[in-house]
Amino acid sequence: MREREDLFSAAEYALGVAEHLSPEYAEAFIEDSYSNSYALEQGRLNGSSYVREKGIRIRIIRKKRLYTFSSNDLSEGAIKRLLSRPVDFNGVNTEMSKEGIAKGDFKCSERGSIDDLDMLRELLSMDKALSRQKHVKFRNIYGGAGRTINYFINSEGSHIRQEVPGTMVFASIIVGNGKETRQRMLNYGTVGGIKEFEKLGIAEQLPEEAKKSFNVIEKGVSLPKQELSGIREVIISPEICGIAAHESVGHPNEADRVFGREAAQAGTSYLTKNTLGMMVGSREVTLVDKPDIEGANGFMLYDEEGVKGKEKIIIKNGRQNELLVNREYAKVLGRKSNGSARSDSFSNEPIVRMSNTYLEPGRYSIDDLEAEVKNGVLMESFTEWNIDDTRSFSRYQANEAYIIKNGRVGKPVKNFILESKTLDFWKAVRMRTKDFRLYAGSCGKGEPMQGVNVTMGGPYALLNFGGE
Amino acid sequence: MEEIDAGEIVSEAIKSGFDEAVSTSYKTLSSYVKISNSKIDSIVEKERAGASIFLTSRKRVFFTHIQELNSKALEAALAKAKKAIRSIKPKSDYYGIAQGPFRYDRKAASYDKGMEGYGEKELMDIAYGSLGSLKGRDQLAGMLHANFTESNLATSGGVNEQMKSSLARLSLRLFRNGFSNQDFAASKYLSGIKPGELANSMLETSKLSEKTGRISNGAYDVIYTPSPAGSLLSNVNSMFCISSIETGSPFSGKLSKKVGSKDLTIYDSGNDSRAIGSSPYDEEGHPTETTPVIKSGIAKQYLHNHSTAVKYKTQSTGNAGLVEPDPDAMIVEHKNKAGSLHDLIEKVDKGILVTNTWYTRFSNYLSGDFSTVPRDTTIYIEKGEPRFIIKQGAIGSFVGIRISENMIRMLHALEAVADDSRQSTSWDSEGSYYITPSILVRDSAITTA
Repeated sequence: MREREDLFSAAEYALGVAEHLSPEYAEAFIEDSYSNSYALEQGRLNGSSYVREKGIRIRIIRKKRLYTFSSNDLSEGAIKRLLSRPVDFNGVNTEMSKEGIAKGDFKCSERGSIDDLDMLRELLSMDKALSRQKHVKFRNIYGGAGRTINYFINSEGSHIRQEVPGTMVFASIIVGNGKETRQRMLNYGTVGGIKEFEKLGIAEQLPEEAKKSFNVIEKGVSLPKQELSGIREVIISPEICGIAAHESVGHPNEADRVFGREAAQAGTSYLTKNTLGMMVGSREVTLVDKPDIEGANGFMLYDEEGVKGKEKIIIKNGRQNELLVNREYAKVLGRKSNGSARSDSFSNEPIVRMSNTYLEPGRYSIDDLEAEVKNGVLMESFTEWNIDDTRSFSRYQANEAYIIKNGRVGKPVKNFILESKTLDFWKAVRMRTKDFRLYAGSCGKGEPMQGVNVTMGGPYALLNFGGE
Repeated sequence: MEEIDAGEIVSEAIKSGFDEAVSTSYKTLSSYVKISNSKIDSIVEKERAGASIFLTSRKRVFFTHIQELNSKALEAALAKAKKAIRSIKPKSDYYGIAQGPFRYDRKAASYDKGMEGYGEKELMDIAYGSLGSLKGRDQLAGMLHANFTESNLATSGGVNEQMKSSLARLSLRLFRNGFSNQDFAASKYLSGIKPGELANSMLETSKLSEKTGRISNGAYDVIYTPSPAGSLLSNVNSMFCISSIETGSPFSGKLSKKVGSKDLTIYDSGNDSRAIGSSPYDEEGHPTETTPVIKSGIAKQYLHNHSTAVKYKTQSTGNAGLVEPDPDAMIVEHKNKAGSLHDLIEKVDKGILVTNTWYTRFSNYLSGDFSTVPRDTTIYIEKGEPRFIIKQGAIGSFVGIRISENMIRMLHALEAVADDSRQSTSWDSEGSYYITPSILVRDSAITTA
């Protein structure tokens, strides 16, 4: 309790000094986090760690210029020293949108304290399950559990405390038969307690994923180039749907890309201020970013500017509908912020980020989608993906994919790559299943690179590139 | 409360019963001046202090960190570590830290004394200098990054060393007539960052052709300028770390075998004083080295720390990483020097010039299969002449091509280099620095939008 009071006192002290320096706008954000992490390589405990870190970030707008300072020294001397550094400069006018005052103490649901989770035992049981698969040649598993508590106060009177427990697991598996190998990388993450973590069932999933990849090696066929180029119908899984939603819709709808602030870092966008509202998909495409999904890796209630995280309908029935904005770009656009300012640590500036981004599910079953396909591919998972700077041209290389002929799913295909322009991809969406799933990931952006926890997903979706 | 140093941390850890201890205490100031839409956008400044602590007890290894350098924080961290280390399993193939004392080459510790206590004003001068190179309707974005760190490494193997280090890095991205060019300057010295020279070099690239055109899918020779060349090839040094070899690298089992062009040599260097991050010693105090990982096309040496070197009955290459070895700066050398970048272009009958890549992703790390996306101006070359800037669609600075490669094939097909070797980095490989020339790789697979 004493420590909590000390942290809040440091935030109040910093805000006082910052307000004196900059009457226009000032805020202080304090973060106190800890995590226990373990790395297993081929079943061997390669490393384990416990790290706790506390720190403060102070942002001010002075003469319409934005300054961010951070330190892991919370003493008054350190705060004064930091706030003595700013010099005036000629540059971008930065202003904040008008937002309501937010106050409260928020904690996400935590069923079973995360502090009681024996993460090492969990990782060893995942590894044991994988080690029983004789075709698994290499296995690396890394995982951690911890808790983050943050305080936010600003010169407008907002005052928020949030507490977020969570877990993450990353597994890299290489399967092979002596002649050929395949690689599968899997991310898992939860916000919440032990029950949320247990729901993932990772120890059961990893061997299944290894088996599926090995099945592609053993039973898969490589299609000739001509046959591959004739494929116009593709059913994408929730996993493929998610990565595409994140990369080719979520990112280009981040306002700081559209308005050029990220141009030398994470890039630009196919959208410009003049093309907002354009059609980017078929009427089947409604794509949202929703931060308050309990248990999801991208869960948040309030963003790091003290604004409640809102559901954003990024694409509505195929039409671009809403950008992800922080207070800076809300002001530029003459609107309210939708609560998209996030950072990976007190140490870095909060920038426009996604949370849980997905294509809305539809009303069909997977059987309904398969029945529509004459000559196509069902793409279940990917190994590699990439996308260009404007987010216009992406590629997803299949890990697990199957040929579909006249509605029947056949053999695995080894060499299927879905490479297309963004608008062609989303305009090809014809049908969506009711089944829906979210996948955890870490999203990189900014300089220094900031990885924040997100999820991405959607239903199975039938894409027809034939234009019918 | 009195401040403690790394030596005291190690001494207390040993007193409290750990077999070994390694600690690096540090104080660092980092600054980021962001440029967007041809203006200075904002400034971020970060101070960090603390100490990393590596502890072992009967082959159990554990990491922790304190941010308050005082005895109370240390006592609490050691008590927690003692409890935690009991519950973990021994690392059966752990063989201890390097035992000193050592003799060090101090040249590797060079740093910019002028950056000690630097202020925002010095940084603003460089940022304004970058903007001053703009012409007409050109748009500029970028980032100037500066860092100054003081550190103290102490180990129970008899090492107690202090060091100061500095770095400055400028990235600029120029948008001109619907095309973009991005390049990077990186140096230990703030005076090594010359925004005018960087901007002029990008302008020269943009002048190679003013026409635009489209290309088809197929095989093309590819010339990579230093930033993308280093960004791609620096994967090689990671793949030569023994931990990668153990867990699936294309170079596993390839020592003494041909893995690249006979003219190609790639070094991993921790002690080349030109390289950002160079240091006389690695994270366990072992002297750093310049190690040929590939010499004249032959896989020569995996990268080790002390423990992995004992395991494999070899010598440490000075690449600790305590949990596992880490690569240092990569240096690329090639016997077939074509001359200038223009001379390299003359060697190409049908190819492309790539000035920046990103999203390099391995579909299979073990086989070395990957693809990467040219991000900025990419020029089609025919019969030794730049013909046009590739633009496969109408949107913004969209390039619209992708390179699919295999790392071993690329090393074999790396036929020649230019004489423009320099230190560089890229946004896609933040934290990695390399000294490499422009390189020519024959017959890479290209797909287009």
